[in-house]
Amino acid sequence: MDITLFVQQFLNGLSIGSIYAIFALGYTLIFSILGIINFAHGALFTLGAYFTYALMGEAFGLNGLLANAALPVKLPFALALILGSALAGLVGVAVERIAFRPLRRKRADSLLTVVSSLGVALVIVNLIQYLVGAENYTFPGNTYGNLPAAINFGTAEKPIPIRTVQVVIFGVSVVILTILTYFINRTKYGKAMKAVAEDPITASLLGINTDGFIVLTFFISSFLAGLAGTLVASSVSIPGPYFGIAFGLKGLAVIVLGGLGSIPGAVLGGVVIGLIEAFVPADYSAYKDAFAFGILFIMLLVRPQGLLGRRFVQKV
Amino acid sequence: MTLSEALASEFPTYRAFFMKPPIPLLEIKELYVNYGGIQALQNIDLTVNAGEVVTLIGANGAGKSTTLRAISRLINPRSGQIVYQGRDITRRPAHEVVQLGIAHSPEGRRVLARQTVLDNLELGAYTRSNLAAVRADLDRQFEIFPRLAERRLQLAGTLSGGEQQMLAIARALMSRPKLLLLDEPSLGLAPAIVLEIFSIIRDLRATGVTILLVEQNAKLALERADRGYILEAGRITLTGQASNLLNDDLVRKAYLG
Repeated sequence: MDITLFVQQFLNGLSIGSIYAIFALGYTLIFSILGIINFAHGALFTLGAYFTYALMGEAFGLNGLLANAALPVKLPFALALILGSALAGLVGVAVERIAFRPLRRKRADSLLTVVSSLGVALVIVNLIQYLVGAENYTFPGNTYGNLPAAINFGTAEKPIPIRTVQVVIFGVSVVILTILTYFINRTKYGKAMKAVAEDPITASLLGINTDGFIVLTFFISSFLAGLAGTLVASSVSIPGPYFGIAFGLKGLAVIVLGGLGSIPGAVLGGVVIGLIEAFVPADYSAYKDAFAFGILFIMLLVRPQGLLGRRFVQKV
Repeated sequence: MTLSEALASEFPTYRAFFMKPPIPLLEIKELYVNYGGIQALQNIDLTVNAGEVVTLIGANGAGKSTTLRAISRLINPRSGQIVYQGRDITRRPAHEVVQLGIAHSPEGRRVLARQTVLDNLELGAYTRSNLAAVRADLDRQFEIFPRLAERRLQLAGTLSGGEQQMLAIARALMSRPKLLLLDEPSLGLAPAIVLEIFSIIRDLRATGVTILLVEQNAKLALERADRGYILEAGRITLTGQASNLLNDDLVRKAYLG
């Protein structure tokens, strides 16, 4: 492989990996607090993309209850992205109320909560299909304003063009990761959140409202899902209501690879899977997912706690 | 502290004769708690007055920790009332009780093992917003527990048992409690450290913190407390001045060996 192609694929891999990372981080946050995988995470990814699409004032298609409807406002992409992700975050908060909290109150087995989150995921997916149909929605051509379609990372003689979308995705992911890391490790509320994750009983003895932090965690997690969904959709398109299901599975591979419940693990896992996919030879690109899950499978055999996971997960 | 309060804390007799009858800081009335199908507490009546050190004595499983857990609202009573400063807190969520001034240093210490000593202490002051006062209290904890100051940036999980116990107490104090619930501060510790911790408890009491102490080492606890309650199988069987309990034949036989 020649060097320019290598660099190009490496940068693309980083970009894809960074989006895997912020998406998988959403799983990780909820897992570290509740010890449960939120299977509605993929559906919130999808929902975020649709929200942003709608907030940009784009019309929906021919099918569904909202056929040909469009919002009267046309927000610029950056604003729509933040608002759309925030809306996904709010839906996440509702998911916690409906699918998680009642079972937690009854001290139900976590497997039941997993099933109930899967149920919510299906409801969301079907609701999307009912409202806006199953067709493909493409973000408008001017989504990224006047930015060129690609940016050259090489020289004039040896160009290494990277799509602008990929660069934006990487930039946004890095900013979000930085803010989140700072919040969790450096602020009072971030430390309180870690306390809830480590031991909710102790946290409540310190005066921390554990339910409040669980709600906050669902908001942040679902915000990340919505953000990731929008960014991916702006790079390709929204192929339909099932958009997030495959991505959701990929996210699971990322957190298992990185180590369940580990925040650096989610980031590392995301980047590793992104790079692996980028270096799958073009002839086999249809089997990208098989490569990613193959690596995961080997990982589970060799090091079941993942790259950065704790060997023994202590749950009090 | 006024002179009369100082006298009262040094000489219980002074309090008995010259001061107004104390206002109960905490009053538990006819408390029943069920725990996994069994009656863990039955008809508990217990009072803690401001400035007192009160101790709960009893065998393993008698319901001592359960009583503390009911007060700090980790468990829901089946019936009865917990009144703190005249307010019914029986159904308040746990985090609100901390805000009202009750701190609980729980059974098994429960330090946040994956956070530093400093973070543990700062989280102890989670409910407080006056940062300057929190900083001053932090310095005070480091003065009382110099060993914690040395290890302030170490993860709490790496501390020894005695140090973790100190951290649990210091963390509880960081909320500036009016009422401190101490659960088995001597459990599993070397005798020298137990004495150290009890001398700290004595010092605390001089600063006006009211303490409800659960302890298996009955002799030590009764020597340091004003009053005591004896718990047996979820019921209070005996109560009185700590000095009287120390000399009570039944108590001596059952708990003081």
